[in-house]
Amino acid sequence: MDSESEDVPLTPLWGKRSIVRLPFLVARDLFQSRSLLRLLVKRDLAGRYSRAYLGYAWAVLEPLLLAIVYTFLFTILLGADDPLYSVKIIIGIVGWQLFARSVTNSTRSISSSINLFQFARIPKTVFATSSALTNYVLALISLSCLIPFFYIHNLPISLHLFLVPFWLVLISFTGWAIGLMLAPLACKIPDVNNVVNFLVRAGFFLSPVMWTYDMFSKRFGEGWHSVLAHMNPTVVPITKMRDAILGESSSIPDYGYIMCFSLAIVAYTLGSIIFERKAHRAVVNV
Amino acid sequence: MEIQNLTLEYPVPRKYRKENIEPSGIRDICLSVRKGEVLGIIGHNGSGKSTLLKLMAGVFPPDTGSIAIRGSVSLLAGVGVGFHKDLTGRENAYLYGALMGRTQEQIDNLINEIQQFAELKHHFDRPLRTYSSGMKSRLGISVATAFNPDLLLIDEVLGVGDASFREKSKLRVRKMIEKSGAVVIVSHSLGLLKEICDRIIVLENGKIVFKGDPVDAVEAYLQL
Repeated sequence: MDSESEDVPLTPLWGKRSIVRLPFLVARDLFQSRSLLRLLVKRDLAGRYSRAYLGYAWAVLEPLLLAIVYTFLFTILLGADDPLYSVKIIIGIVGWQLFARSVTNSTRSISSSINLFQFARIPKTVFATSSALTNYVLALISLSCLIPFFYIHNLPISLHLFLVPFWLVLISFTGWAIGLMLAPLACKIPDVNNVVNFLVRAGFFLSPVMWTYDMFSKRFGEGWHSVLAHMNPTVVPITKMRDAILGESSSIPDYGYIMCFSLAIVAYTLGSIIFERKAHRAVVNV
Repeated sequence: MEIQNLTLEYPVPRKYRKENIEPSGIRDICLSVRKGEVLGIIGHNGSGKSTLLKLMAGVFPPDTGSIAIRGSVSLLAGVGVGFHKDLTGRENAYLYGALMGRTQEQIDNLINEIQQFAELKHHFDRPLRTYSSGMKSRLGISVATAFNPDLLLIDEVLGVGDASFREKSKLRVRKMIEKSGAVVIVSHSLGLLKEICDRIIVLENGKIVFKGDPVDAVEAYLQL
């Protein structure tokens, strides 16, 4: 027996939690579950490439091989003349993959761990969070494929590089929060997962993976097209990662940054409220 | 643990909604479990035994009513839930402990005991995918019964492994019952329940139809 005595207060298992406090409570629950999160990330990392002979090298090879294909298509077949185009594509792929995986894994997080939720009282956000963290670590590993390009193109090594992990955090965080909003519904209606998968694939072309923000600005200017583009939460982070790595400076307007951070905050606030309000019941109704 | 007017109904599948079928679940349960008590729950299949246990464990939220508890609670159900094939036995034991809300230090103190009870020897540090099904079961029961909460909830988990390991598991669960603050056990083994329980409740269609002495409860259940 651990500690029971009459001095221990009688605690309700399902106390009332006001909507306003839910975003803070989700953050607190996750902080308190940090050792569980560490183990889950370790488990996810161990599982991801454990059977492959090349192991984690695949995290580096995947974006590199994709970049080779896209570079071939765009520089050789379509005649693009930017020598740094392949580097830009790799950064775009890594950023986009992180966002896509964070959204889809977070959306599936309740239904894929339902057997665990039915026997252990753990914060239900832990699995969405652990997969977002796992994907974040993999994205950082993937970026190491850029090291040779620093020598090939004589890229500047500056303090701006330290901003890259920050922008990756923002991408993963926003994707994770959007997934939290959808997870209870996806648990009830599995088709939501298919819709999300489709939107993620379609979103690939709407995100700056094969194009850059400067290409977009030159073509469409700074009008309503630009406002629309900034509704995509990956535009600013991917562009800023490219700037940090290539030592460039893109002309992102101030409202672009405001929209990007606002989207992350709104997604987290709504995501944490919807998830906490609906996820517990969703586990019962499966 | 104090339970007041607890109700949880599962939704009726859409295709049966027109047929006026009463939803399954549990209704209006009032119950208290005292420190040191072993409470049994019996009832036919679908009477709500496991649902009540999940509500007590806090994994299902009630529709109405309240549950309050002193100290920690853990549910022993489904051996090996949460295990991952690519982690070693040792890593899985740590993961399971963390899922049960234990700290690293608490698991450190129990890890040798878990290894010994599971009889896995050097396999304990090999990935779970290399285990036979018997080895997985042994690890599952060893890990699940290693932690002693203030309130232990047991849902029919003793039927794993070979005959000798089953006996060993039963003994271990009995020891766990002795060490835990209070125990609620769901089982179809009426003999076992009569022997170990201080009180038994009989559930039928989600309602308590009898609450009291184990021998009388078993009789009431058999007459249902």
